[in-house]
Amino acid sequence: MDTAFLIESVIKVHIVLGFVLLVVPFIVWAERKILGHMQDRIGPERVGPFGLLQTIADGLKLFMKEDLVPAQADKVVFILAPAITVVTALIATTVIPWGDSVTLFGRTIPLHIADVNVALLFVLATTSMGVYGVVLGGWASNSKYPLLGGLRSSAQMISYELAQGISLVSVVLLAGTLSLAQIARQQAHMWYVVPQFFGFWIYVISGIAETNRAPFDLPEAETELVAGFHTEYSSMKWAFYFLGEYANMMVVSGVAITVFLGGWQGPVLPGVVWFLIKLTAFLFFFIWLRATFPRLRYDQLMAFGWKVLLPAAILNLVVTAVVVALR
Amino acid sequence: MTPAPTIPLVYYQVLAAILFTIGVVGVLVRRSALIIFMSIELMLNAVNLSFVAFSRQHASMDGHIFVFFVMAVAAAEVAVGLAILVAIFRNRDTANVDDVRLLRG
Amino acid sequence: MLIPAFLFAMFAGIAIGCSLGVIFHRNPVHCALMLVGVLLSVSGLFILLNASFLAALQVLVYAGAIMVLFLFVLMLLNLKGENPLLTRGAAKGFGILFAIVVFVELLWTVLSPQMEGGMAASPTVPTGFGSPAAIGRVLYTVWLYPFEITSILLLIAVIGAVVLAKRKFV
Repeated sequence: MDTAFLIESVIKVHIVLGFVLLVVPFIVWAERKILGHMQDRIGPERVGPFGLLQTIADGLKLFMKEDLVPAQADKVVFILAPAITVVTALIATTVIPWGDSVTLFGRTIPLHIADVNVALLFVLATTSMGVYGVVLGGWASNSKYPLLGGLRSSAQMISYELAQGISLVSVVLLAGTLSLAQIARQQAHMWYVVPQFFGFWIYVISGIAETNRAPFDLPEAETELVAGFHTEYSSMKWAFYFLGEYANMMVVSGVAITVFLGGWQGPVLPGVVWFLIKLTAFLFFFIWLRATFPRLRYDQLMAFGWKVLLPAAILNLVVTAVVVALR
Repeated sequence: MTPAPTIPLVYYQVLAAILFTIGVVGVLVRRSALIIFMSIELMLNAVNLSFVAFSRQHASMDGHIFVFFVMAVAAAEVAVGLAILVAIFRNRDTANVDDVRLLRG
Repeated sequence: MLIPAFLFAMFAGIAIGCSLGVIFHRNPVHCALMLVGVLLSVSGLFILLNASFLAALQVLVYAGAIMVLFLFVLMLLNLKGENPLLTRGAAKGFGILFAIVVFVELLWTVLSPQMEGGMAASPTVPTGFGSPAAIGRVLYTVWLYPFEITSILLLIAVIGAVVLAKRKFV
């Protein structure tokens, strides 16, 4: 464990952490602007040029809001829950490769923080730990609507984890490795979205359900459950939940890009730029979905996850396995 | 990266023994059925740790396979056990093992 | 040697502390969270033992699914902590005595001189040790029969859980 490796890891952690934490306000602004234009209105435009400083103003407001903890709430768990959401999302960003290796000062530095040979399992494991943030937030608030919202949301998340995992396993059959960097590198000739077209869409749909985004966001819909599991949360803890949600969106997009869309591969531009372009496209797609589709009712959501998506994922896996075995 | 030299096996075994004993105390001394379940999970985890440590010592993958099956069986056991607990709770409105004693002589 | 020793001490300390928390906390949700802490620290110990696949599986299956099931049942049944915390009287005394006997027996076995290589350094393992490929190589050849039986067992467990938890009038 030489010091050069430690310094390099610390710098990479700073880069990724800084990127995630600085881009989230940008995504919030982009969401409000894009939703606005899709709904034939303008969105934020007064605070700063094109409303760019709106999220910062909102962040400052949230920072100065009163930080409520309900009287009968379980204080330790109440404070712990948003932290779990954010921490698991940020931990999952450590294995996502955002570029090919660079050579600086005579060292070849791979552009991902950790080279884990079970990286895909690691990402699945950390996103399944993210369920705790939601279910504990709902429980700790000691109130009806958060409890119902938390239970519904976590049931949704664990249901769609299955289809997500199985669609990723189909790619592992093709790639022969669980390491995300290796999977990205092996798509130099053909992106895995081509043989695994259905697997890609199954993964994207379950990823949207995992992050509680529209059209799967019933557990946090205003018309249904006040605000679901984060009803009783105010100021920075609520901001943390949303930071965690957007960081989760970036993780899901990052994994989809790495596994299906070739990671950083692309013709002319350097790898990191291609990764950012693909990430932006995915985040735009998430926002576009929110503007377009109505919300799924909870029973429709669960029925879709168990009766449609899971059999489709298993069928995809079986067909992939047969094709790989016959090759 | 070459793996660094490891901790001697006996430390892992003693840790597994400690965790197992704490699990045994939990099963025998707590009254809530759910906590007893959790103590059983604790015992299973201690055993898993022991298996993996032995597997590392003998450089054999069989220990890992055992842990794999222990995890699968533990998942099945938790599912069925919690279903039974829910059924008992629905009928008797208590999850206390001291209160479910109709078969007692 | 320093970093693995530090990591081992940290994970072992967290495991023992959290397991004591499991059996001594009053609120069942706190006990469940302490158990999640134990599971995560055991996962860390697996990584120290070169069992990377099992470490990921431990978090994914045990901490991510089984404990969530525990929490669901806790929240749906709205179980509170019991009063008093521990069993009364003789049962408690005999329980602790039995546990001490078990512990002494385990230590006797583990620390006996017949346990060859107990204090020696572990042998070096091949590079793919603990990886999914290594497990797959053994699981689908030598251990195929238990694997298939386990899949049937899981199916039985799923059906059993659904039947046992159903309401009668549904």
